[in-house]
Amino acid sequence: MEHLNLLYPEFALGSLALGLLVSDLFVAPKHGRLLYHLAWIISIVTLCLIGFTISDGAHFQGVGTLWAVDPFSQFFKMLILLTTVLSLLMGLEYRELPSKHAGIFTSLLLMASAGMMFLVSSTDLLLTFIALELISISSFILTGFERRNPKSNEGALKYFLFGAFSSAIMAYGISLFYGATGSTRLLNVTQAPGPLMILGLLFILLGLGFKASIAPMHFWVPDAYEGAPTPVTAYLSVAPKIATIAALMRIFTLMLPASMLDLTSLFTLLAALTMTIGNFTAMFQTNVKRLLAYSSVAQAGYMLIGLVAAGTSGGDVRGIEGVLLYSFIYVAMNIGAFVVVQAVATEAAAAGAKDPYGLEAFNGLARRSFGLALALTFCLLSLAGIPPLAGFIGKLYIFESAVKTGHIGLAVVGLVNSVVSVYFYMRIAYHMFFKQADSAEPIALGPYLYGGLAVAIAGVIIFGIYPEPLIASVQSSAGFLP
Amino acid sequence: MTLTHYLTLGAIVFLIGIFGALTRRNIIGILMSIELIFNAANINLAAFNRFLHPQGVAGQAVALFFITIAAAEVVVGLALVLAIYRNTDTVYVEDFSLLKG
Repeated sequence: MEHLNLLYPEFALGSLALGLLVSDLFVAPKHGRLLYHLAWIISIVTLCLIGFTISDGAHFQGVGTLWAVDPFSQFFKMLILLTTVLSLLMGLEYRELPSKHAGIFTSLLLMASAGMMFLVSSTDLLLTFIALELISISSFILTGFERRNPKSNEGALKYFLFGAFSSAIMAYGISLFYGATGSTRLLNVTQAPGPLMILGLLFILLGLGFKASIAPMHFWVPDAYEGAPTPVTAYLSVAPKIATIAALMRIFTLMLPASMLDLTSLFTLLAALTMTIGNFTAMFQTNVKRLLAYSSVAQAGYMLIGLVAAGTSGGDVRGIEGVLLYSFIYVAMNIGAFVVVQAVATEAAAAGAKDPYGLEAFNGLARRSFGLALALTFCLLSLAGIPPLAGFIGKLYIFESAVKTGHIGLAVVGLVNSVVSVYFYMRIAYHMFFKQADSAEPIALGPYLYGGLAVAIAGVIIFGIYPEPLIASVQSSAGFLP
Repeated sequence: MTLTHYLTLGAIVFLIGIFGALTRRNIIGILMSIELIFNAANINLAAFNRFLHPQGVAGQAVALFFITIAAAEVVVGLALVLAIYRNTDTVYVEDFSLLKG
């Protein structure tokens, strides 16, 4: 057990999350908001701890243990914690969440984040599996947290059935991998991959792909996202996705390079399928939460392009950098969009709308609150990849890396998909700017939502116009340990 | 008894689990099928440990982890089933159709 000190952030987050769980017993329900504040402060403290381990210049050694702490994983850990903070801020303004069980809610959210932090660091399939289960089990409960809401129940149940099924298959895959190599360790796999190992790896890919919502395993996404409380939706649509993409990247391109096992064509197919299915299904949605759910499927597809480029034999590091860059930008733009959606839906629900998340709830938003409408438009344009917003930079980087490694067809599919996606993103903008509103009341935006939105929009605009510092930090974070 | 016997048993249990999870209409039935898949993995791990990699107990240790995790997962699943049963009075998946589009 060398360098255990590098795991302090995870230890801190995990034990403080347990503390929150216990403190739920002692904090009166009317002071429940206190626990939310405590939770996001804990996340920021953990973020600082990670910052220390980076500036420490400590070794990032994973050999002989289950985990590798390298710039690659540190980068993703920071993103995950940032997402956690923003989601907790959203939770503070979400009325449906009972303040009665704030301790349980926040503790589960932090547990899931701790699981993701382990997942991005893991170099052993056993730890990968346990981390994945920590994320899954926490997020099943979070999805069904509105116990009296049948939609929340149903979303959680569907999520659970798909999730448990795919993790069971992944467990079977790990057993086959163990049979082929004699250990669950991914480091120093020397055996030439035989049929047993390839089958095992495919099952493992299925388990991870489920969490990252890659196309054939994406059926749970819209239902779970629609049923979940909105802060949880925002969290689930970002954090587990980028964490799992990072894990996929570590396992399938860094640990088992293409020279050993070439899955490039499989990943190319998955990327194209994920983008296409996500975008073309999103077109027909009338519920904004579902629309953003399908859009997040498509976004996972774009990130997979980077994975393909990084995994191609002789591929350059730009693919990895592209995934890091895109993940960062994705956090900002997706959370920003969900913040506005939550504000609008809260207002619509208070006004007695039949479907507070329907497109109609956005009618005439520009006349009611121009700032909010503009902010949402910026986030959506960024998701679609329109310059000069940050999403464009991310897509440019990823498509460029694909072209450079010879995946021109894939880049073209990605480009066509981006064009298609403009249609459904702009449908929301159409409702906001050109439809008549039912009321002229401006939308109230609480201080925490305001703060979260400000951070997100700042990220989307600043890194779109001036991406150099982000690109520089991404380039220094693309280092990883074998 | 050779490794092949155990692996065949594991594969049969795995396939029964997959078939059950895909065709069952009752949530409890699906949960049981998922448990079967987990157990197939455990059979494999123990058999591989015994026959292919007798040095160390990594396989059995992993099997222990899987048993624990599967139990934790089922606990959450049953809690969700209970919550949804209170609201809708049914445990059949085809009755859950609030979310679509």
